[in-house]
Amino acid sequence: MIYLLLFAGLFMGWSLGTNDAANAFGTAVATRVISYRTAVTLIAIMVVVGAFIGGANNIDKVAELSTSNKVIASTEEVYLAIEEGEEDKLRLKTAIKAAIIFTCAALTVFVMSYLKFPVSANQSITGAIIGWGLCYADYSDPAVLAVNLPQIGKFASTWVLNPLGAGIISFVLVFVVNKFISAKLTTLSGYDKIIRIGYLVAGIFASYSIGQNSSANVTALYFDAAFAQTGVAANLLTDARLTATIGGIAIAVGVLTFSKRVMMTVGSSIAEITQIDGFLVIIAMALTVVIMGKWMGIPVSTSQAVVGAVVGAGLTRGVKSVHFGVFKNIAIAWVSSPTVAGLMAYLVAICTKNYFLS
Amino acid sequence: MFKKERNNEVHAVIMEEITAVENCMRSFENFIRAASSRVTDDDTLKMLCDDVCKKEDVADKTLRKMIDSLVGTSFLPSSREDLIAIASSCDKVANKCEYVTLMAVHQHFRFPEELAESLLKIITITHKQFDKLEESISMLFAKFNNMLKDHAILDEVRALETEVDVIEQALYERIFQMDMDLAHQMQLSNYVEALCDIADIIEDIADKIQIMLVTRKN
Repeated sequence: MIYLLLFAGLFMGWSLGTNDAANAFGTAVATRVISYRTAVTLIAIMVVVGAFIGGANNIDKVAELSTSNKVIASTEEVYLAIEEGEEDKLRLKTAIKAAIIFTCAALTVFVMSYLKFPVSANQSITGAIIGWGLCYADYSDPAVLAVNLPQIGKFASTWVLNPLGAGIISFVLVFVVNKFISAKLTTLSGYDKIIRIGYLVAGIFASYSIGQNSSANVTALYFDAAFAQTGVAANLLTDARLTATIGGIAIAVGVLTFSKRVMMTVGSSIAEITQIDGFLVIIAMALTVVIMGKWMGIPVSTSQAVVGAVVGAGLTRGVKSVHFGVFKNIAIAWVSSPTVAGLMAYLVAICTKNYFLS
Repeated sequence: MFKKERNNEVHAVIMEEITAVENCMRSFENFIRAASSRVTDDDTLKMLCDDVCKKEDVADKTLRKMIDSLVGTSFLPSSREDLIAIASSCDKVANKCEYVTLMAVHQHFRFPEELAESLLKIITITHKQFDKLEESISMLFAKFNNMLKDHAILDEVRALETEVDVIEQALYERIFQMDMDLAHQMQLSNYVEALCDIADIIEDIADKIQIMLVTRKN
């Protein structure tokens, strides 16, 4: 059963790689500063490094939400199952539920990647967990609401605050750099060198932070579910660092295989940006993710941050340089991805209710 | 070799290409001057034509050298493409000079003396235009920030092309009023058109430089 869970988790990681992780070098590839192949290789390496070094620190962030929504069994439920001699049944059900949540979220993100929309994989997982909980959890229970409502409120507010924050940071960065630094670039080769180094540093930093923040969210659920399993694989998955690294590798494979579609949307469709703007956008994105993540206490989406940052950079040259039609579609995708994942999980939960309540 | 040296080498080779094209244009001017004179014999014209071809060949070789020199530099792919496009277009100026020269030699064509002044004026303006272009290309390497802010020099290149256009139109009018058969008039107007194409090519290069600047300007 652990292998089914592992497969679903890896599918989630792969989907995240095809979408969120593409942001680190999206503008670099679209403005042709760095080739697609170099970009995906660098992202893949840095995501795994980020996951290995810092991924384990964030791994329990979705645990509380998963337990209150009846995806992961609570400690009391585990003890009760042991008393009744039904721990095997509980293990199986936990693994299946976690696999369903992952599959719903991963399918949603994959469809969004196919449609070229940059969305948040983390929020799709959260949406799927809450969707599942809507069927099983007792929402009249104040304890359940106490966990879910702030979480729902927080990630709904990030749809506005995250891109807005990134947009403001990006606008200020682009404005300041253009005003005071660009004028000092006296040669074409100097200009090109600054751009290349800027993209590499910003992209590597952003890839590392994606590995650090997102790998945990991909693997947290199967990390939690693995505690309820037995066997060698399950024992290995209870090692937080190893689990986060596996998540990082899954993201890296997603980046290497199917990230170009979202990358090009981020880099060239939202607003007309120059090569210098491009790396400032990545810096703004990474700064926003770090600041907002700390401030809001939940993982924020790099996709939403990068879109906001591109719009902010575009606005330095006037409203006309921003393609608000594309932006509107992306904003709809932000709202719809956790909603669709949640709806899918809810429908599956209804169809399988008899099994899980037996 | 360090990247800085390689970057400088690219600058040097592009300027070498421009000098090669300029030399070709000078030989071409000598040819047109000779071809507008009744006293010039075919052998002299052939010799002058060979000189134009030789200079064009040097420009071709320098272009290839310039493309090779871009390998291992810190120029971005988009800048490399732009620099190759600019150098290739400069080479087209030399190609056009060679084309007109060869056509005139093969057809044993002579320009009417009464048109010589206007034809040479076109070449003089084209030279001036090319000098401005050379200055602007040099600025791309040495004063890039100034070029981003102000590229009035490119407007000067375009203004000179307009001067050539005015002379061209006046020449067509004169040609079709001249006492010669229509075939000869058509042949002559084709030469004038080819000659004026050089100014158009230089104007196109100025446009390419402006596009290059606009895409990098914030």
